[in-house]
Amino acid sequence: MRLTDIMSGSGLAFYAEVALIVFFVVFLAVVGWIFLPSRKRELDRASRIPLEEGDPSQPSDRGAGR
Amino acid sequence: MSERLDTFTYDDAIVRKFLVATLIWGFVGMLVGLIIALQLAYPALNLGLPWTSFGRLRPLHTNAVIFAFAGNAFFTGAYYSTQRLLKARMFSDALSQVHFWGWQLIIVAAAVTLPLGLTQAKEYAELEWPIDIAIAVVWVVFAINFFGTIANRRERHLYVAIWFYIASIVTVAILHIFNNLSIPAGLFKSYSIYAGVQDAFMQWWYGHNAVAFFLTTPFLGLMYYFMPKAADRPVFSYRLSILHFWTLVFMYIWAGPHHLHYTALPEWASTLGMLFSIMLWAPSWGGMVNGLLTLRGAWRKVVDDPVLKFFVVAVTAYGMATFEGPMLSIKSVNGLAHYTDWIIAHVHTGALGWNGLLTFGMIYWLLPRLFQTKLHSQKLAEVHFWLATFGMILYAAAIYSAGLTQGLMWRAFDETGRLLFPDFVETTVRLIPMYWLRAVGGTMYLIGTGVCGYNIYKTWASRPARYDEPVIRAAPLSPRYQPDVGPAAGSAWARFVQAKWHRVWERLPVTFTVMTTVAVVVASLFEIIPTFLIRSNVPTIASVKPYTPLELAGRDLYIREGCFNCHSQMVRPFRHETERYGEYSKPGEFVYDHPFLWGSRRIGPDLARVAQVSRPLARPALRQSVADHCQIDDAGLSMAREEPTRLWGDPVAGRRDDHAGRPVRRGGDSSPRSRSAAGRADRRWHRGPGGAERLGRPRGGSGHRLPPTARAGHQTRVLRPIRIAPHPGRR
Repeated sequence: MRLTDIMSGSGLAFYAEVALIVFFVVFLAVVGWIFLPSRKRELDRASRIPLEEGDPSQPSDRGAGR
Repeated sequence: MSERLDTFTYDDAIVRKFLVATLIWGFVGMLVGLIIALQLAYPALNLGLPWTSFGRLRPLHTNAVIFAFAGNAFFTGAYYSTQRLLKARMFSDALSQVHFWGWQLIIVAAAVTLPLGLTQAKEYAELEWPIDIAIAVVWVVFAINFFGTIANRRERHLYVAIWFYIASIVTVAILHIFNNLSIPAGLFKSYSIYAGVQDAFMQWWYGHNAVAFFLTTPFLGLMYYFMPKAADRPVFSYRLSILHFWTLVFMYIWAGPHHLHYTALPEWASTLGMLFSIMLWAPSWGGMVNGLLTLRGAWRKVVDDPVLKFFVVAVTAYGMATFEGPMLSIKSVNGLAHYTDWIIAHVHTGALGWNGLLTFGMIYWLLPRLFQTKLHSQKLAEVHFWLATFGMILYAAAIYSAGLTQGLMWRAFDETGRLLFPDFVETTVRLIPMYWLRAVGGTMYLIGTGVCGYNIYKTWASRPARYDEPVIRAAPLSPRYQPDVGPAAGSAWARFVQAKWHRVWERLPVTFTVMTTVAVVVASLFEIIPTFLIRSNVPTIASVKPYTPLELAGRDLYIREGCFNCHSQMVRPFRHETERYGEYSKPGEFVYDHPFLWGSRRIGPDLARVAQVSRPLARPALRQSVADHCQIDDAGLSMAREEPTRLWGDPVAGRRDDHAGRPVRRGGDSSPRSRSAAGRADRRWHRGPGGAERLGRPRGGSGHRLPPTARAGHQTRVLRPIRIAPHPGRR
């Protein structure tokens, strides 16, 4: 018995639909967690990273976390 | 908090190198594009030489603009922004150099081998296996350098641009390796390990995701860094950018099959590809809106600043192209647009608009900073902007019209139910004015690029004697990460909702990379494995047997001359196609095709059923016109005899003479058909003004003869009766 026989017999064809739904649920989850109000402050900070050029007068890191 | 500060400098020399390479290769790639565009309008420009024929130069153009121009542009921006976003110098200067010079060498190798006809015949993956290995090695060097920099970073949070870079680096590696798996046959030749439908599936899984992860996500990373920099304000919504990232990573990988609608691909795969493509509409437009709204309150700056002008049009072009992409993936729209210039127009909106203009905007922003002087001329940058924008619009408008015209002509029936334009060449000749217009648009764009080159040169010329290297101070990350949020509290649900698990996760590049990879790989496997392993997807046809050595030699010639760049071998199940070309194609017909040669654009007619004896083409006129430009002379036939012998000994004894069902023809003039107008146009198309005799050269030719053996191959193949099973995709 070859691999293709096993795979053909195991009824995998509907996996594509399963995957479609799984991915859609993941999408909803992503939407959910990025819009949590508790994240606002942190994300605002993150969005300013490109504007900090590592100015010597303003040490930019918070070594112990942040 | 640690009070000790590290001091370091950024490596801008490597950025300068990549920037110059971007412009040089961009100019070369666009110039080749202009040459082949002119060849379509005026075929004599192929010079009658094999090395300069359309079939060989077209892959050179696509590879040059994608991997040389856009590739170097991505590296320019990535090397500049990564160091600053992570507050760390690149991991290793030596690896940066290896990456730069390795990539340029690969480009040179491509520029040499493609005109020589060394190709794997898979779009955007044409390069032969030794170059593929070199690409993989250089890519790994880049990855080590990049992830090493992440490891050395002094900024805990990875900015969203870095996420886009990570996804691009990881996914391109996966795509490149799996699509290029092949069995070498000598140093310059290889055969794909996949066959027929599966090969097509792998190729467009790769092809579409090359667009996604080489031309879209890296440039989105650049947009999310350079757009806020140029506008001097943070991106409109950081949340939207995160959503943009995850949706693209999760969805793009599925969309490949929309390149294969109505082909022999199983229908479930094609529908799945269509669905995910349509879903991509949302994140893409979310991204466009996010980019444009970053300019909120700064629109006045757009008036004065060419950089922002470039960015605004680039992001708008991204929106247009990503609106059109999902639309084209809808099957009924695709039925009209596929194989026509519409697709070429779509691609160029993306390439000239999104990738090109974003790159140029970035270059103008970088020039004063990298060369530490004023930009030579703001005015020339403005000139470049208008040349590029109008060039792109002219290009796209002309070629959209061409695509629609040809698509509608192909499917037009007269009142008696016969094809209105039975001669393929009628639909081609109609496009020539639009081809000229397209060439004008392309020329404007190219001149703009030249102006940019001049501006770069003059800016470079006024650089300081020594570049100033500002010393940056930043604290290192503490070796033990202490989360800034206390342990989660409350019920399990409350702890989940606080999403602290993800905040931790965002700062862990390894985990992050693994998760991105999982998203990409899982999606790929879900889609690919069933196609490969479920038999009912590719019903076998008893009469389809492995190719004979002679037929294989014919396929090799077909590949070498790049015939697949203009001719499809895939008849779709539409009445206008079966009328024109014959019976539609079945998956089982291709089980021995390593690689598949379905093609993606019909500059000439489909060749799947050409010279078929048992099932002649429905329109004898077309058959004749195809025969007219498949001239073979004695030299050509002797080549057909010689090649298989050279490759496989002498396996075809006894079959040599009877596979050519028609007598070998010399020159087109003996045929009554060739005196007709269409016949003349046909000859002009394929040979240029020199006429038929130019084809008589034994090995060179205009690159436009259908290789004699390929024709013979078609003939012997179809002599076997093909049992017509119901198309599995269309129950």
